[in-house]
Amino acid sequence: MTQTERSAYLVIAILAVLVLAPMGGLLSLGRLPGFEPQDLQFWQSTYIRRVIFFSLWQALLSALLSVVPAILVARAFALNGNFPFRSLLLRLFGLPLVVPSVVAVMGIVSVYGSGGWIPLGRSLYGLNGILLAHVFFNLPLAVRLLLPLWQGIPRHHWELAEQMGFSGWHRWRYLEWPAIREGLPGVLLLVFMLCLTSFAVVLTLGGGPKSTTLEVAIYQSLRFDFDPVQAVVLALLQLSLCLLVAVVILKMQKLPEVEISISSPASESRDYRSLLNRLVILVAGIYVGLPLASLLIDALSGPLAQVVTNEYIWQSAGKTLMLGLGAAVLSVTAGWFLLGASSQLANRGQLRRARLVEISGSIIYVVPPLVLGTGTFVLLSDYIDVFSWVYPIVIVINAMMGLPFVIRSLGPAMRQNQMRYQNLCSSLALSGWNRFIFIDWPLLRRSIGLSAALVAALAMGDLGVIALFGTPNTATLPLLIYQQLGAYLIPQATATALLLLGLCLLVFWIIERYIGGKDDA
Amino acid sequence: MMLEIGALRYQFPGADPEIMQFDLSVAAGEVLSLIGPSGSGKSTLLNLIAGFLKPDSGHIHVDGEAIEHLPIAQRPVTIVFQQHNLFPHLDLYTNVALGVDPSLKLSTEQDQLIEDALDSLALSGLEKRKPGELSGGQRQRIALARVLVRERKVLLLDEAFAALGPAQREELIVLVKALVERKKMAALLVSHQPRDALIASDRTAFVQNGRIIALQPTRQLLEETDLVEVRSYLGSL
Repeated sequence: MTQTERSAYLVIAILAVLVLAPMGGLLSLGRLPGFEPQDLQFWQSTYIRRVIFFSLWQALLSALLSVVPAILVARAFALNGNFPFRSLLLRLFGLPLVVPSVVAVMGIVSVYGSGGWIPLGRSLYGLNGILLAHVFFNLPLAVRLLLPLWQGIPRHHWELAEQMGFSGWHRWRYLEWPAIREGLPGVLLLVFMLCLTSFAVVLTLGGGPKSTTLEVAIYQSLRFDFDPVQAVVLALLQLSLCLLVAVVILKMQKLPEVEISISSPASESRDYRSLLNRLVILVAGIYVGLPLASLLIDALSGPLAQVVTNEYIWQSAGKTLMLGLGAAVLSVTAGWFLLGASSQLANRGQLRRARLVEISGSIIYVVPPLVLGTGTFVLLSDYIDVFSWVYPIVIVINAMMGLPFVIRSLGPAMRQNQMRYQNLCSSLALSGWNRFIFIDWPLLRRSIGLSAALVAALAMGDLGVIALFGTPNTATLPLLIYQQLGAYLIPQATATALLLLGLCLLVFWIIERYIGGKDDA
Repeated sequence: MMLEIGALRYQFPGADPEIMQFDLSVAAGEVLSLIGPSGSGKSTLLNLIAGFLKPDSGHIHVDGEAIEHLPIAQRPVTIVFQQHNLFPHLDLYTNVALGVDPSLKLSTEQDQLIEDALDSLALSGLEKRKPGELSGGQRQRIALARVLVRERKVLLLDEAFAALGPAQREELIVLVKALVERKKMAALLVSHQPRDALIASDRTAFVQNGRIIALQPTRQLLEETDLVEVRSYLGSL
C-alpha cells in the first residue's frame, strides 16, 4: 500500500466518522425527551405527508423544466459553433455554479417580485418562485452536462450525414439522440437530487407550510418548533429518499463529465447556423442573465453606500471569507488524496476499488448537509454548546459538500497525469515531495486552482448549515441576507447580496488566477 | 550473459487462464528485438523487467544478481516509451537531469555528465527548450540522453520509435545500437516493424500468446523461417 493510498483510507475513515456519528445521533432518537414510538408513524401525519409530496413534486417539476429546455439549448450551442457572443453566453451559463443561492433568490425577487420587471406579485412565493430559482441554477448546469455529449459525436459522422443528405430529423434520429440518450437520465436524476436537497431557495421563496420541503421542515423543526424528534424523523426520511435516488444514479453510471470551468469549451461541432437555435440560446441567456442584471441595477440604485460602510457587514464578510477558504483547503486536500489513491488503483487494474474510493467523496449527495447538521446537533447538544462550534462544523460540512466538485474537476486531470507519467516517475524514483513539486503541481495547478476556487465560492454562498447553527454574532453574509429578508429590508438585502456576489467572484478569480496560474500542460 | 530471464510467469488479474512464460538471455552490448502480434506479451515482458508488473514466479538476473524483488527505481533498468517520456512543462535539461537526481540537487560532475550526454546526441543549445517545441525525433533523442546519464545496465525500448517516419526511425535505431555497444548495455527492442529488427539486432525473438516461440538470427527468422506463425505474421505465408 502506497503512502497516498494510506492517506486516502485515512480520509475515508474520517468521512465515515463524520457521516456515521451524526447518523448515530439520528438513530438514537429514542433517548430524545418527548419521544413517543408513534412519532415514527410519519404516514399518519398530514403535515409530513404533504411535505414529502411537495419535496418530490417540486424536484420533479424543477428537473423537467430545467433539463427539457437544456436539451434544446445545448443542441443549439453544439450546432452553432461560431456565432457572436457564444463564448460570453457559455461563460454566463457557468456563472450560476458560483452564484450563491441567496443572491440568485434576490435576483429572482428583483425581476419577478412586486415592483420588478415581470411582477408576479404574491404568487412568486411558493412553487412558482421555487421553480424559477431552480431552473435558474439547473438549466445552465444541465446545458454544460449535455453539451459534451454532442461534442462527442465524431466529426466524420456529421460529414457522412451531410454527404448522405440527412434532414434535421434524420440527424437527430441517427446521430444526436443515440449520443445523448445514455447520459440524459443521469442528468435528469442529478438535477432532481439537487432540487430535492435544495434548502436556501425553498427557505426564502417557499410560501409557508404548503410549500415546504423536507430540508426546510427539518430546519423549522429545530430552530422554530424546538422539536428535535420531528427533525430527526424528517431527516431520516430525507436520508432514505436521497439514498434511493443515489442508488439509481450509481446504477446508471452514465453521468457525463461536467465542464465546470467558466471558460468556454472548444466546439468541434459543425456549424449549422439556424435562426431558431440562436433564438433558443438568446431566450435562455436572458432568463439566466436577467436576475443578475436586475440585482445589479437595484443594488446600485439602493443603499449600497450604507451597506459597504457598515462595520457589521464587513465582519460578516470576513467570517464568510474565512469559512470559504477553510472549506476550500480542506476539500481540495481530501480530494487530492482520494483521487491520488483512486488513480493508482485504476492504474493497477483495480477498477472497482478505484471507483469505490472516488465515490466515497460524494457521500454528501446521499447524506444532505441539513441531515448531517441535524445528526450533529442531536449528537453533540448534550455535551457541548453546538452554537459556539459553528465555524468548525460549517467548514467541515461545506468541505464535504465541495468534495464532489473537487473530484469532478480535478479527477480527469489527475487520472490522465497518472496514466501518462506513473511508470516514468516510478522508474526515475520520483515520488513524494519531489514528484509533487516538479511534476504534479505544475501539471495540475490549474485544476487544483479551479477546484479550490469553486469550493471557496460555494462555501461562501452557503445558506444551509450556517442557518442551523448560526447566531447573530456568527452570521455570514448569506445568513445576514436571510435575516434582512425576514425583516423586510429588501433594499439592504439586495445591496448585501451584490456585495456577496462580488466577494465570491473576486475570490473565485483570485484563486483561479493565482493558484491556477497559467496552463503548463 | 548480462540479462537472464528464466521461467518468468505472469497472468493478468481476472484474465483468462492463459499464463505467460518467458525464458530469455541478452548479452552485454546486444540489442535483442522482440516482434509479434499486438497483445502477444512483448510489452508485458518489458513491464515485468522494469518492475511495473510483478511476476507470479521465475527470475530476472542482471550480471548474475536477482532483481525481480527490487523496487522499480532500484533496478538497473531504464526504459523509453513510445510517448510521454518527457514532462511537457519542464525544459529539456531538467527532463534529463531528473534521471540523475529526482531532487535536482546536482553536483558539478553531474552537470557535466548531462552536458556531455546532450552533446553526444547533438542536442547542445536546446537545453532551455520545452518538449513541445521539438520534433518527435528530437524528443526521443532527449529520452536517449536520459538513458545515457542514468547509466543502467539494461535498456528497454517499448515501441520507442513507432511514431517516427522511416528515416528518423532508422537513424535513431542506429544511434541506439552504437550506444548499447559502447556502454555494454543489454537492450530489448519491442517493435512492430520487422525492418527495425533487421537494423538493430543480430538476434530476434518472435512472441505469441505470451511465449517466445522462436529466437533466431534476425535475417533467418524474418526471411527463411518455416514457422507458420511467423510467416503468417509477416504476411509471407
